[in-house]
Amino acid sequence: MRSLSPILASLANALKIPLSSAPTRPSITQLSNELLKKPARTFTTTNPLLKRKTNAPRGDRRVTLIRYFLWHPLTPRPLRFSRTRFLRHWTIHRAWQLHQAQQRNARELELQRQWQAMNAACEELRTGAGDGGKLFRKSMNKRAVFTDLFPIEYGRLQTEGPSQEGWNHEWKRMVK
Amino acid sequence: MAASESSRYLARSLPRAFVPTVRPQGLCLRRNVSGQTAPADLNELESATSLASMASSDAVKSFDPIARSSQRKKQLPRSRYQFRSPKYDRGPLHPHQPPPPSDPSSRLYIPGPFSLPRVEQTYQSTVASDILTLCYVHNPPGFKPPPKAARLRSWDDSSPYHKNRPLRGPRGGDVLRLLRKPINFNNVPKLERITIHSYIKQAAQENSSWLHVAGMAVQAITNAKVETFKSKTSVATWSIVPGRDTVAVKAELRGEDMLHFFGKLVDVVLPRIKDWEGVKGSSGDSSGNITFGLEPENVALFPEIEVNYDMYPPKMIPGCHITVHTSAKTDKDARLLLSAMGIPFYGKIVN
Repeated sequence: MRSLSPILASLANALKIPLSSAPTRPSITQLSNELLKKPARTFTTTNPLLKRKTNAPRGDRRVTLIRYFLWHPLTPRPLRFSRTRFLRHWTIHRAWQLHQAQQRNARELELQRQWQAMNAACEELRTGAGDGGKLFRKSMNKRAVFTDLFPIEYGRLQTEGPSQEGWNHEWKRMVK
Repeated sequence: MAASESSRYLARSLPRAFVPTVRPQGLCLRRNVSGQTAPADLNELESATSLASMASSDAVKSFDPIARSSQRKKQLPRSRYQFRSPKYDRGPLHPHQPPPPSDPSSRLYIPGPFSLPRVEQTYQSTVASDILTLCYVHNPPGFKPPPKAARLRSWDDSSPYHKNRPLRGPRGGDVLRLLRKPINFNNVPKLERITIHSYIKQAAQENSSWLHVAGMAVQAITNAKVETFKSKTSVATWSIVPGRDTVAVKAELRGEDMLHFFGKLVDVVLPRIKDWEGVKGSSGDSSGNITFGLEPENVALFPEIEVNYDMYPPKMIPGCHITVHTSAKTDKDARLLLSAMGIPFYGKIVN
């Protein structure tokens, strides 16, 4: 058996090449077959975090989950529509903007109408009530508006209908 | 065509003040012809829907999309040219410009609104006109308010060094407060945005899990992505160094998110807080923004956290400061608005 140089011998040992009496150059297919015979890593579905030893320091599982969902990418790529779908979207969008503008206009006009009605009523109270403007002065008194504010019974978001119990007749205003 | 071209160049060469504008400047409400749609003109449209298919029935029966797609060797190309919004803003002179945010291909596009919040309906139906009535101040026709002194005072020229100085600040401090205009139909105060801010000192003392749990809790109750902030001040007792520790999360809400959050706050959370008197009457930054705080056990009352309470470490649920930014220019108007929307105030009202 011909002796190889120590470098070649160690390489042959590492690559699992049998040292035959008639040494042939290892082909690529031979090498890859040799490598494929040994599985690199056994297949497993176990989470590496779960495989850890139980006595190893592991944080709160809830915090781990929260971190996972916190860094989860939330922004999807922009929508890409074809021509007809884009046109449909654009039409609906314009119609919705138009509708909103009309509603906004209607609300502003309603507020303006209310303000002008108040203006006319106060002018009438000031000049035409015949009491020297006493009622008008009383109505313009803003003494407690900004200190007493709205009563808490008023400050309630409106619902479609009354509650299940209807009206609570026993309710009394809280006395401080 | 040529005449219109020349007039365009003429208009461009004129100074801005001489060019006649299409819109009258003083009009407060803008109305367009396109906004005045008449429903009587709809008979010009085709009666048949364009969405109905007109394929024959046997062609429909023999069509088997699953078999066809399994026969296909590779995926079909996309049908049309797909516009991609630029990922980065390269300035106004770059040829690849992003589309407007209402365009679905824009990266800023947000679909919706998907609901009509109760807060908005209440405000529009009742609160706006009630505030308008409460704040109404009658001025007789022809009334002109007496002219006020300038807010920035000039220097008396007692010293030669007064020359070219900037004007003096207002009397009694250097703060130039916002001007409050009388409330009329154009400027009834309304909610603009809500900021939820939470300072977590344990994020600097212990580990980052405090910050992450707080951010998740704030995101859950607000439906908005939070921002994190580093501390700006040094707090020696909490071992906080400025610029080193990330200690705060903030979420900013506008539009639909804000209204839903406010509705939950007023309807669900605030009524269930034990022994809560209300927001302190001295709260506010004197320009129409009111701030109040919630303790951690009150934050846990939000329905999003309550249904999922086991998923948060209980000691890490944060407290928060809630700032309600209104379009009011003074605190008293903002307080009037918030009390009409269901937030009580207690103690001495300070403006």
